[in-house]
Amino acid sequence: MLRHSLVLTCFVSALQAGELSFNRDIRPIFTKHCTACHGGVKEAGDISLILRDKALGEGESGNRAIVPGDPDASELMRRITSKDPDEVMPKPKHGPPLADEEIATIRQWIQEGAEWEELWSFTPPKELAVTVKKADWPKQVLDQHVLAKLEQAGLSPSPEAGKAEWFRRVSLDLTGLPPSSEDWALFRDDAAADAYEKAVDRLLASPHFGERWAVMWMDLARYSDTKGFEKDPGRTVWPFRDWVVRAFNADMPFDQFTIKQLAGDLIENPEPTDLVATVFHRNTMNNTEGGTDDEEYRLAAVMDRVSTTWTAWQATTFACVQCHSHPYDPYPHEDYYRFMAFFDNTEDADLNDDFPSTRSANDPAQQAQATKLEKDIRAVREAINDQALAVTAQINDFKLLKATATKASAATGGIAQNADGVFVASGTNPTSSSYTLTFPAESFAAIRLKILPESDDPKKWGGLAAVCGDFHLWIIKPDGTRQQIKLREVIADSLSGPFDPNEAIRGGGPGFGDYPAQRGPRWCVIVPEQPVVVEAGAQMEISIFHALSCNADNQPSILKKFTLEASNNPALVQFIASPEHGARWQQHGAMNGQLNAIPGTMVPVMTERSPKARRDTRVFIRGNRMTRDESVTAGIPQIVQPPQKTEGLTRLDMAQWLVGDRNPLTARVLANRLWAELFGIGIVETIEDFGTSGTPPTNLELLDHLSLRLQKHHAWRIKPFLRELVLSASYRQQSKATPVLLEKDPRNQLITRGPRQRLSAEMVRDQSLLVSGLLSRKQFGPPVFPPQPEGIWKSAYNGARWETSQGEDRYRRGLYTYSKRTSGYPSFLTFDAPSRDVCTPRRINSNTPLQALVTLNDPAYMEMAQAFAKRMTTVSPELPAQLQQGYQWLTLQEATPEVITALVALHADAFADYNKNPADLQKIAPSAAEAAMVLVANTMLNLDSALTR
Amino acid sequence: MLHLTQLEHLTRRHFLSKCSVGLGGLWLASQGQSWGASGALKKDPTQPLLPDLTHFAPKAKRVIYLHMAGSPSQLELFDHKPELIKLDGKECPQEFLAGKQFAFIQGVPKMMSSRFPFHQAGQSGQWISDRMPHLEKHIDDICVIKSMYTDQFNHAPAQLLLHTGFPQLGWPSTGSWATYGLGSENQNLPGFIVLTSGGVNPDAGKSVWGSGFLPSVYQGVQCRSQGEPVLFLQNPEGVSQSLRRRTLDALSDINQRIATEVGDPETVTRIAQYEMAYRMQIHASDAFDIKQEPEAVHQAYNTQPGQESFANNCLLARRLAERGVRFIQLFDWGWDSHGTGPDTDLTKGFVDKCNQVDKPISALLQDLKQRGLLDETLVIWSGEFGRTPMRENRGGVEMAAQGRDHNPGAYCLWMAGGGVKGGYSHGETDPIGYEAMVDKVSAHDLHATMLHLLGYDHEKFTYPHQGAMHRLTNITKTGTKVVKKVIA
Repeated sequence: MLRHSLVLTCFVSALQAGELSFNRDIRPIFTKHCTACHGGVKEAGDISLILRDKALGEGESGNRAIVPGDPDASELMRRITSKDPDEVMPKPKHGPPLADEEIATIRQWIQEGAEWEELWSFTPPKELAVTVKKADWPKQVLDQHVLAKLEQAGLSPSPEAGKAEWFRRVSLDLTGLPPSSEDWALFRDDAAADAYEKAVDRLLASPHFGERWAVMWMDLARYSDTKGFEKDPGRTVWPFRDWVVRAFNADMPFDQFTIKQLAGDLIENPEPTDLVATVFHRNTMNNTEGGTDDEEYRLAAVMDRVSTTWTAWQATTFACVQCHSHPYDPYPHEDYYRFMAFFDNTEDADLNDDFPSTRSANDPAQQAQATKLEKDIRAVREAINDQALAVTAQINDFKLLKATATKASAATGGIAQNADGVFVASGTNPTSSSYTLTFPAESFAAIRLKILPESDDPKKWGGLAAVCGDFHLWIIKPDGTRQQIKLREVIADSLSGPFDPNEAIRGGGPGFGDYPAQRGPRWCVIVPEQPVVVEAGAQMEISIFHALSCNADNQPSILKKFTLEASNNPALVQFIASPEHGARWQQHGAMNGQLNAIPGTMVPVMTERSPKARRDTRVFIRGNRMTRDESVTAGIPQIVQPPQKTEGLTRLDMAQWLVGDRNPLTARVLANRLWAELFGIGIVETIEDFGTSGTPPTNLELLDHLSLRLQKHHAWRIKPFLRELVLSASYRQQSKATPVLLEKDPRNQLITRGPRQRLSAEMVRDQSLLVSGLLSRKQFGPPVFPPQPEGIWKSAYNGARWETSQGEDRYRRGLYTYSKRTSGYPSFLTFDAPSRDVCTPRRINSNTPLQALVTLNDPAYMEMAQAFAKRMTTVSPELPAQLQQGYQWLTLQEATPEVITALVALHADAFADYNKNPADLQKIAPSAAEAAMVLVANTMLNLDSALTR
Repeated sequence: MLHLTQLEHLTRRHFLSKCSVGLGGLWLASQGQSWGASGALKKDPTQPLLPDLTHFAPKAKRVIYLHMAGSPSQLELFDHKPELIKLDGKECPQEFLAGKQFAFIQGVPKMMSSRFPFHQAGQSGQWISDRMPHLEKHIDDICVIKSMYTDQFNHAPAQLLLHTGFPQLGWPSTGSWATYGLGSENQNLPGFIVLTSGGVNPDAGKSVWGSGFLPSVYQGVQCRSQGEPVLFLQNPEGVSQSLRRRTLDALSDINQRIATEVGDPETVTRIAQYEMAYRMQIHASDAFDIKQEPEAVHQAYNTQPGQESFANNCLLARRLAERGVRFIQLFDWGWDSHGTGPDTDLTKGFVDKCNQVDKPISALLQDLKQRGLLDETLVIWSGEFGRTPMRENRGGVEMAAQGRDHNPGAYCLWMAGGGVKGGYSHGETDPIGYEAMVDKVSAHDLHATMLHLLGYDHEKFTYPHQGAMHRLTNITKTGTKVVKKVIA
């Protein structure tokens, strides 16, 4: 022990007193060695080293793990230094012992008082001033932060990039397109002091700005034109893509942008397009495979919404918390379900028709009317039911009906009535089976059906749906004649779910009840046209037909437990026959007619269920939906500064909290994401993970400055924020990497030079289209089908075909290309575009031979090369001049004589070759010179300087 | 079409002895750097598929996985159940139905015995039905695991679980783990190649061979047995291979200048990848040109060059194995024998499917053996789950055709070669073949076993992602074990 202490003393001397930081020096040691057992997933010995109270409290052994100021009294010190294999931590089978330096660091930290810090990302951002030596370099405050770090590292910035290098970079970064010759000439020849500012303002005002940034957002929104899974059928959501493009173009502040997408359906005075914004969370996959349980996939979609919200806005791996408390960060297990409650109450239920949907009007001028009609129709329908419910409340003489005979149509199933009057199904009653129940007839004017859950324990609710399909009622007179009673209307306890309760008596629809899962007891009152008066000795027969299964043709949604009651009170019959009631239905019908007359596209949207039909969200034990635990209400984890209001939080409250002043993460996450788009790597590299398991920020002061600047100074407007970034001295550096820079700052995280990134999948295509003169600048509308090889689309059980677009749609920008989840556009996938099955917060650029094959050989790229060749030959009769111009279109740079020589030589060789091989020649151009030019153009589109920005 | 030898001659000056890289090669050789996330294996970006070290000596050098998408009935092929014959046509006892979720069965279905007779075959006496007479010749080389089970009863999630360890999308597939770890023995072809029989892709789409969070270079490359084997492999119309070489020389020349000027390591990688692409053009075209095979081989495999077929893919699998491709995955389809029509009738469509695959699989095993490759090649055959011992009665009604519903409780998988104990049956199901009972094997156990045969300890073969060291065998699952008994 003595020897040990001596060793420790040596190491301690390396650390200055008071310089330790918990987050920098201690937390990483805990994460590496300890939190697997003493963290969120497991709290072995009741010790957790991610929660201050658990770390500094008493463990199971009664000893305090950490005694601030007294390492020798700290159980943790004893255990990490123990030589006894039964005592030492980590246990030998779990991992190697801590290194001496690590032990010394922890000792010093405890000695100095065991100061605990929350992770940097949970503390509010602070604006810190920094001082720099090279004071004439910064153009923005952000540059001071960059420079301060460089100076700390003994580095200096790179020289400013030439006009061409910067202008091509900024054009691609802001609009996704390289500059046209005209754009370039305008900037090149502008000698004014504010030439750079004017150039940026032109780019920010370009209609293409929104197209470029929409691509980033569509990855996060998991936008796709198909539903995913096995059959992967199509889905109409392109109006959402257009909404995003327009929002970026209009520079919609990010707080509004957020609120509209997450809760556009709950905004009090919404704009007509706000509902379309909520498609964001309807981009979840929808499983239409036969035999799938709609409730299972409804929950999968809800959980995906939770996970996507946390990934996109909070850079938090919240999905971990589905099964257990977060392994490294202070998110308790229950908080997952409290947050899930925000999303658990929408109407969508994995239905094949994507219910519910809204009408996106073809003519934007009609959007307001369409949206209003939809809202009014819903309100009128609610009012009809609510008024009838008020009348129903006056009826207090419902009496249980006792059957004299019960019969299930399926030989395999049964239905019987218990002594307490409850009907209980047994065996297997499949879809399309029915119950026939016979009663002694009594006069009545209303029948009440109560659908009961199988269990009395609410934890066990949520099993298969129970829906009353066709409900028929006959009176059988003593002489045996049967008279079917005309039923008029069904009054429901609440209007919720995809079906109108009246379907139960009108045929053709699924009926009344909970779908796709039985959430709890439900009731409805079935009202005949006239009070039914029966003679003595008559019988009444009720038949209930089960029309519905949970998906395709399986998993019946039968009634498993229910009661029937009757009342002879005519109040409802009278109410329903009243002219006022009839008028309301007429109004309802008329409005539906008006709505249907507005041409448009139906898009899936978020719609909140009525408060009366609120789903009971429960904790799932170990994340398994079949094991439901305690009931929870919507809430936000403590560590991320929830709103002060805690009761009755809605999805709208949650959206407002995300972009509110208290949230420590949103602005940082967005600022970091935008920075990464421009600089190629985030200040926090893991732009998807700001937690303990992510990478720490390389320059927290810079990130905090940027996030405050974005949120406060620019009030969440993205355009002025980006303007500052691209005009900064940091961004305006040249991108040349010297061996010294590569050694000191290999990935340019310190910003020792300008950014240099490979073009994104869409940019590779869009640039080639632009320089070849083929690009269509047409915006918006249904997705297009540019050429792709035969035989790519082969989804199981899906007959959809790729019909190549004609005319200018063949040459539209990449973001308009039809995006199919199970079979993405091949050349985009090869260049790292995601399938968008789920939220993709970061594309990681790869560099593969398959990419070379795309840009060399894809017929789409060959077509562009042909057009590019033709365009080059129009500028001059001289080959070198043509090549020089082509090179400049592509890179804005002047080609060196060596490059021109190499291309001229290639042209000459190809020319000679084509002269010798007229057969090849014919396939590509009319003359050998032209064919040679195509080959040169093809080569140029593959240059490293063309494929990067 | 030019032959490989001609092409190599044509471009001889570009191939430098063994490392066979193009003009940029010498220059590239001086530009090494490491690559990948911290905690990951160190890989050379210009040679990401170079073979790497394993935890211990591998028994298998490569894998050929034959996946019968849709899931063939184990009860008609390998799991002999005399008890079921007695129950044939009788109503299914309630004990088998309680608490079960089916895809399509409703009400009380009838039990259905195997539609085909079984017998014992080979020295080992393993049971097999009469539907695979050619495969039967290799019965002493194969090890049938009768006790596979899963917890997914829909195709897409079950396929994902079987190939990635998770029923959701987004996880690296077995093949991408294998190529990430082992690299490939051939730097001129992708290390992980996927072949489908034509018609349709597997239900779960391309995610079953995706690379998840591993670098994308390790994802399966879907090659096609008809037309170009790799998308865009062939030069465009009117561009000859010599002209392509010429353009790549010019490209490499200019890109080297750019690399010197801007100093971006990615430029260096790009030059290497263009050279790799060029080599792939030659070598993949050659590898996929089955016309080079003699007539006897075509007869053995029942292949017809130019077709998109499982038979052609089996022959291609052998050609790729010979060339050192690490992981070759074949997907056949049409095995979803629900009995909704002739195609899915166990006595019709299923019989045709068996006939289609029996001969080619047998030829593949024979061929690998003859060439001394079987010992080092792990061949695996399976569906994604099993089928019910009850006859499917969609909507509660008996259908005209005879079919079986999905059954996650038990299915058969066989393995051959690559260090596997031939002639051995592993595990048992209950008397009706409904649930695996003895020596149950999960997808995770299978993965652990595959990795073991490839030289890896599945618990130590990890990759950092979202704060955890992830592995193929799903860190959230416990109790995963290498199935030692199937190893020779």
